[in-house]
Amino acid sequence: MNWLADVIGSSIGKKMLMALTGLGFCVFLFGHLAGNMTIYGGKDAFNSYAEHLHSLGPLLTVAEIGLLLFATVHVLSGTLLFLGNLKARPQRYAMKKSAGGRTVGSRTMPYTGFLVLLFVVFHLMNFHFVDKTNTTIFQIVNNAFSDPIYVGIYVAAMIMVGIHVSHGFWSAFQTLGANHPKYMPFIKGLSIGFSLIVGMGFGFLPIYFLFLS
Amino acid sequence: MQLDSKAPGGPLPEKWDKHLFELKLVNPANKRKFEIIVVGTGLAGGSASATLAELGYNVKTFCIQDSPRRAHSIAAQGGINAAKNYSNDGDSIRRLFYDTIKGGDYRSREANVYRLAQVSNNIIDQCVAQGVPFAREYGGLLANRSFGGAQVSRTFYARGQTGQQLLIGAYSALSRQIAVGKVTMFTRRDMLDLVLVNGKARGIVTRNLVNGSIETHVADAVVLATGGYGNTFYLSTNAMASNVSAAFNAYKKGAFFANPCYTQIHPTCIPVHGTYQSKLTLMSESLRNDGRVWVPKNPGDKRHPGQIPESERDYYLENKYPSFGNLVPRDVASRNAKLQCDLGKGVGETGLAVYLDFQDAIRRDGKAVIAKKYGNLFQMYEKITADNPYETPMMIYPAVHYTMGGLWVDYNLMSTIPGLFVLGEANFSDHGANRLGASALMQGLADGYFVIPYTIGGYLAGTKLEKVSADDTAFKAAVEAVEMRIKKMLSIGGKRTVDDFHRQLGNIMWEYCGMARTDNGLAKAKDLIADLQVEFWENVLVSGSGSQFNQSLEKAGRVADFIEFGKLMVTDAMARKESCGGHFNEDYQTEENEAKRDDENFCHVAAWEYAGDENEPNFHKEALHFENVELTQRSYK
Amino acid sequence: MTQQNSSKNINLTLKVWRQVGPNVKGRLETYQANHISTDMSFLEMLDVVNEELILNHRDPIAFDHDCREGICGMCGAMVNGRAHGPEKGTTLCQLHMRHFSDQDTVIIEPWRSRAFRIIKDLVVDRSAFDKIIQAGGYISVSAGGTPDANVIPVPQEAAEKAMDAAACIGCGACVASCPNASAMLFVGAKVSHLALLPQGIPEAAIRALAMVKKMDDCGFGNCTNETECEAECPKEISITNIARLNREYIKAGLL
Repeated sequence: MNWLADVIGSSIGKKMLMALTGLGFCVFLFGHLAGNMTIYGGKDAFNSYAEHLHSLGPLLTVAEIGLLLFATVHVLSGTLLFLGNLKARPQRYAMKKSAGGRTVGSRTMPYTGFLVLLFVVFHLMNFHFVDKTNTTIFQIVNNAFSDPIYVGIYVAAMIMVGIHVSHGFWSAFQTLGANHPKYMPFIKGLSIGFSLIVGMGFGFLPIYFLFLS
Repeated sequence: MQLDSKAPGGPLPEKWDKHLFELKLVNPANKRKFEIIVVGTGLAGGSASATLAELGYNVKTFCIQDSPRRAHSIAAQGGINAAKNYSNDGDSIRRLFYDTIKGGDYRSREANVYRLAQVSNNIIDQCVAQGVPFAREYGGLLANRSFGGAQVSRTFYARGQTGQQLLIGAYSALSRQIAVGKVTMFTRRDMLDLVLVNGKARGIVTRNLVNGSIETHVADAVVLATGGYGNTFYLSTNAMASNVSAAFNAYKKGAFFANPCYTQIHPTCIPVHGTYQSKLTLMSESLRNDGRVWVPKNPGDKRHPGQIPESERDYYLENKYPSFGNLVPRDVASRNAKLQCDLGKGVGETGLAVYLDFQDAIRRDGKAVIAKKYGNLFQMYEKITADNPYETPMMIYPAVHYTMGGLWVDYNLMSTIPGLFVLGEANFSDHGANRLGASALMQGLADGYFVIPYTIGGYLAGTKLEKVSADDTAFKAAVEAVEMRIKKMLSIGGKRTVDDFHRQLGNIMWEYCGMARTDNGLAKAKDLIADLQVEFWENVLVSGSGSQFNQSLEKAGRVADFIEFGKLMVTDAMARKESCGGHFNEDYQTEENEAKRDDENFCHVAAWEYAGDENEPNFHKEALHFENVELTQRSYK
Repeated sequence: MTQQNSSKNINLTLKVWRQVGPNVKGRLETYQANHISTDMSFLEMLDVVNEELILNHRDPIAFDHDCREGICGMCGAMVNGRAHGPEKGTTLCQLHMRHFSDQDTVIIEPWRSRAFRIIKDLVVDRSAFDKIIQAGGYISVSAGGTPDANVIPVPQEAAEKAMDAAACIGCGACVASCPNASAMLFVGAKVSHLALLPQGIPEAAIRALAMVKKMDDCGFGNCTNETECEAECPKEISITNIARLNREYIKAGLL
């Protein structure tokens, strides 16, 4: 297994891990968002979606462990890459300008990533690790989003996620070697589209609740 | 001393084969006992280092730049010739040989040139195997083009970057040998002296350009592949660091210098535009395939080229040389450009330029076709001049480009110093008085990949080499001399910078020993250079110290050598009382202003032997014998 | 007049990074560059400044340069925060002063990367690039014994793409401009050049692994697809070559 450690431990290997786990999260986000859409179907639709999810039992646990594993890998390798990059240029430039390659997304990747991580912890404490006896998930969500501060945090976090994904999505393809003049423009377009869908899709929910209540 | 070319006898096509058989071989197990020094990592030095290491020799390789990938071979644009006859247009080894001999104005050695044509085909095979991305036809086979006036398509090319790609090929082969430890690479080193022990070349003295330390390196043979001396003219198409010092030091240690007056002036360069100019940029000669050269018919016509009607344009090359037209060899094209400018028909602000016009080609083939062929060149031109060649004709003027002269070598590429071999542009061997386009790359690689690996073995196997160490007096004396000279240069503390002297030398050389020379002018140049040399050693200002990274000091040493070498060039030019190829003396021309050769008295190689700083060098002659071609006056009409 | 552009003289304030040696602290120093013709190249402008410094018995600015026609890859510096200055597809030696205006302040700094040690002023040690090539940037063929050049047909498109990648001049602008000081474009270009040609395929796997390993060992940063390298590369080498390197690496490492 030495060869595997060598490959994964290399700069490209770590990036491959970032790309794979990142794409994994994109799939997760898509599923999560689709689930959340049931909210627009009303209280019962949302609660039954949640119940249905919980009825999966062990499968759900496997998925949760999987997500946790992905998150660990993504955060760990991301941190290693970030620290490596800091070390690669000990003396900074007195003046540095972009030649037009960087985007808001690419420029802020480690920082949006870190903020999203904080948010995920916060989010799980709000909605996952809470006492769900005598209440429904809809109720919890509804309560949370009646507070404008919560709504503000959530909307801000979703903008972070959108920005993070706007670079992360196409970047993952590039890292996995899928860049061809023929279809890269499409992937890049998709990247922007996906980041907008994720950002707005998730971001609108809290606002919806705020106005609903 | 009788110069012996050691060219083997027998019929031309069999000479090399016969010679290879006669050369002694070094037992494979013994090769690793030999150390070889290679100075320079251009096409010749890079390929030689790699190949010698592949054979098992221990090689120490030196270059001035920070990496062996940067030598100025990299700037060659057009291509590399080979007698493959892939185009089925009647090419052959014999034709390439003939064209090269004729193009060189019958001033090169038959046996060498034939060998060059023979191995040209192996070079292409070798480079393709290394991964050189030559241009291809749609079917996947190699593409060829006609180049530099050749009437067959024998030039292989990689866009306008053939030199770069071939050099990267040689560099990669060299890198492979560095990785396995057969080559020890020394970058950022200036060779400052050659060391002889018992009359044989046994090592060199270098300066480490990073920390200034003076180092000695011992070997069993020394190979110089240090390029040409075009920068004697200050302005040339050579790289800034290209210099004559290594070759000149070898000359001072006893290696004869052959034909230093042969300098090639390339016709298609971007004209000079100011005194601050540091170098000239070549535009590939391939442009002449589609561009038409013209000047206004009336002297002093300063109208915009677009406003000069067809009837008032003089397409002087097409008019004068109907069969070759714009594709006449470089020396002819250059000389005619000068002629037109001397007549006052030059264009541009300085009047030292002629037009190279693509309007007809664009009209005929469309802009897209022209862009595909020359797009990168047009872009480069626009970058430098801010003029768009698709709309305004390019302005070009000749510039010093290549030097055919170099250290004298025999058929084995060994100089008059046993154990000192000289390759590529640094030797004089294959191009006679004028080099054809796409032949320099061919020669550099031929010498490095396919000649030196065999001939150096013959020397090593057949020579008794004493044990030598860097503690020997010869090395100590050389180091001392080098250190003294550096100290002296630093201590002068005069009022003029090194560049200032270099610029003045360049002006003298260009004026009197450039495209057209006269006996009187050369005599004057000699005095001017002598004065300049005296002033240099009294009034130069070199900054910093010797024990640090000091570019001012590096340049000072090189310019000091250029000045001395300039004298040698002029001496040679004065002695050659004829015109041939890159040496055009106005006192020896036909009524139509063409070069007038004197085969009776000057069909020889002039090899100069150093005779001390105060004395004129000794002249030696290697007579040239032509058994396979008939000497004719070159005519491109 | 036949010249369409008109040259004029401008005056500039230069702030140049001066550093005596690798382990010495450096700093930006201010110089005046007066009467600079707009027809000059950037390096010719530095020549003029240096001549004056020498005549005033001051240490001239050390900078690497050689061919001055944009092909040797020797020159390079950050000019106002941009590798090789503000023009696209241009090396420093090909950058002309007509792209600057009178009274401009120009900040000139060396390439900065842990893998490129500063030797003096603007001169850096790029031998890490050579080490990467030595690790596998070649096709292992010795001189002699190669088959006829036309034995292996190479599709024109492959040859063109290989040439696009092989155009790399090894100047280091990709590393200098990369926010992470990564050398992926340099390595990607070489791996692509050789992997695209049939001749390079036998060694493709070893090459990709060895070159990436050496790149990592030399202390370059990690690529995060910022694409600054592509935007600054004087030969405009595309990041599709980085993707190809990634593919080659995955193939070599995992398959």
